[in-house]
Amino acid sequence: MSTGITKPEEEEETESQAVGAARAAGESAYGQARMDESEIDAANEASQRRARRAVEDADRTVELKVFRYDPEVPEKEEPRFDSFTVPFAKGMTVLDALMWARDHYDSSLTFRHSCRQAVCGSDALFVDGKQRLGCKTQVADLADEGIPGEVRIEPLPHAEVVKDLVVDMEHFYDQMESVEPYFQDEDTPDGLNEQRQSRENREKIKMSTRCIWCGACMSSCNIAAGNNEYLGPAAINKAYRFAMDEREGEDLTEHRLNIIEQEHGVWRCQTQFSCTEVCPKDIPLTEHIQALKREAVKKNLKFW
Amino acid sequence: MSQSYDRGLVEDFGRWTEFSAGMWAWIFHKFTGWVLVGYLFTHIAVLSTAMSGPEVYTSTLQGLESLLIVRFLEVGLLAVAVFHILNGVRLLLVDLGIGLESQDRSFYASLILTGAIVVASVPTFLAGAV
Amino acid sequence: MSQRYSSFEPKGTRWLLQRLTAAFLVVVLAFHFMLLHFVNHAADVTFAGTQMRMQTAGYFVTMVAFGLTATFHGVNGVYNALVNQGIDGTAKAVVKYGLVLAGLLLAVQIVRLSLVMAGISL
Repeated sequence: MSTGITKPEEEEETESQAVGAARAAGESAYGQARMDESEIDAANEASQRRARRAVEDADRTVELKVFRYDPEVPEKEEPRFDSFTVPFAKGMTVLDALMWARDHYDSSLTFRHSCRQAVCGSDALFVDGKQRLGCKTQVADLADEGIPGEVRIEPLPHAEVVKDLVVDMEHFYDQMESVEPYFQDEDTPDGLNEQRQSRENREKIKMSTRCIWCGACMSSCNIAAGNNEYLGPAAINKAYRFAMDEREGEDLTEHRLNIIEQEHGVWRCQTQFSCTEVCPKDIPLTEHIQALKREAVKKNLKFW
Repeated sequence: MSQSYDRGLVEDFGRWTEFSAGMWAWIFHKFTGWVLVGYLFTHIAVLSTAMSGPEVYTSTLQGLESLLIVRFLEVGLLAVAVFHILNGVRLLLVDLGIGLESQDRSFYASLILTGAIVVASVPTFLAGAV
Repeated sequence: MSQRYSSFEPKGTRWLLQRLTAAFLVVVLAFHFMLLHFVNHAADVTFAGTQMRMQTAGYFVTMVAFGLTATFHGVNGVYNALVNQGIDGTAKAVVKYGLVLAGLLLAVQIVRLSLVMAGISL
């Protein structure tokens, strides 16, 4: 998780705050709509100077190779990789490094992030050929020993790139919604009575509740890549979370199993374990999908 | 998920060096499956010579077996079949929810075992043809 | 391949059948290889030898079952592989009925051949 690197980050914060303040001053206090050209150039130059100084002063640096693409900017219509040299600090995560690059080299470098502690699920990225959360990936862990010379950062594969590292998550969210990921029982206890769950049942669904909707699993799945109808690991895991919860009524569980046992539901899973391997929350996705396959078969055999 | 441009090698099989055990197991299982289903049709076609009479059957089979290339193809077939069997058992266990944590090791085990069985069988398969 | 039974959901049925046939085939395919490459050498196979084996009732039944389950497992496997590739619409229908036809032809041929090998004429 992003550890908030102590010293360099503080400096960085104050610097960027200073730039922000200057901008705010330029916009409001002096009644100007924008900073004029020369001011922008000066600010850019100052920022680049600071970046150069920080890189020179650093004991160790790491080279980020970042995917760039923006259909709305002529110079970035052709996808390309940009390199940024970032001073390495102990505890630095991939997200920290990206933020440093954005704040010091190119403020148009675009990526999603929010909580910086692997809870919001915003910053799933394709780092050195694997889907990982930027905030949960230590730069130092990307090398066999020491720190890596180069870190390659790309947007999640098999999703449409909106800009730089930002992908369109709409399809993923649609799949998540399609399994109706919420309790909908009418049959809840009256008044102040609690609806209890046994410890065993809690254990059974515990891991499945951890999903943060980051989309890493969906991006890693070879079947989901070629087949937009496939529900995908995250959605099936959501279905598992409710179908296996003893507090959900039988009718609803059956309704849920009917959703996941369609042709492009659980049966498309080929147990490649890609999703399980990339899940930043260590959810045993394949295990859950397999359990639902068996549930669906059992349910159908009962009628037979 | 459609793409507004081609990310090329960023996706799919251009990344084969980064595939994990489970992915390789799937690729090999699929490949061996195609070979086996192809062989099934061929095999039945060859054996169907029995319908033209016992002599045709015997001479066809023995004629084929006398070709060195056929012997090597048979070793290949054995490799393909053994892997499909062993990885198939692995997949059945996965379907039953058994040993999912060691799925990568069981894949490596099926590979090594396949290799060992094939190497050990080479003398038997080539006997009389070399 | 996906005959519709009353309430027996076809998608899950094929998944289950693929596993059940797999479990059977694992054993019989291994037996088949052992018998015809190690116990008897493939090069020494003659019609007389084949007929002798096929006239044993248990072996005959096992081999016919072997052929038919292998046909289902193989043809269904090909269909699954293509569906996983994401084919749908007309292509999917063509593949489906093409494979059903190929599977049926092979199954018929396997039964006919087995009868000939066992020397049974109907």
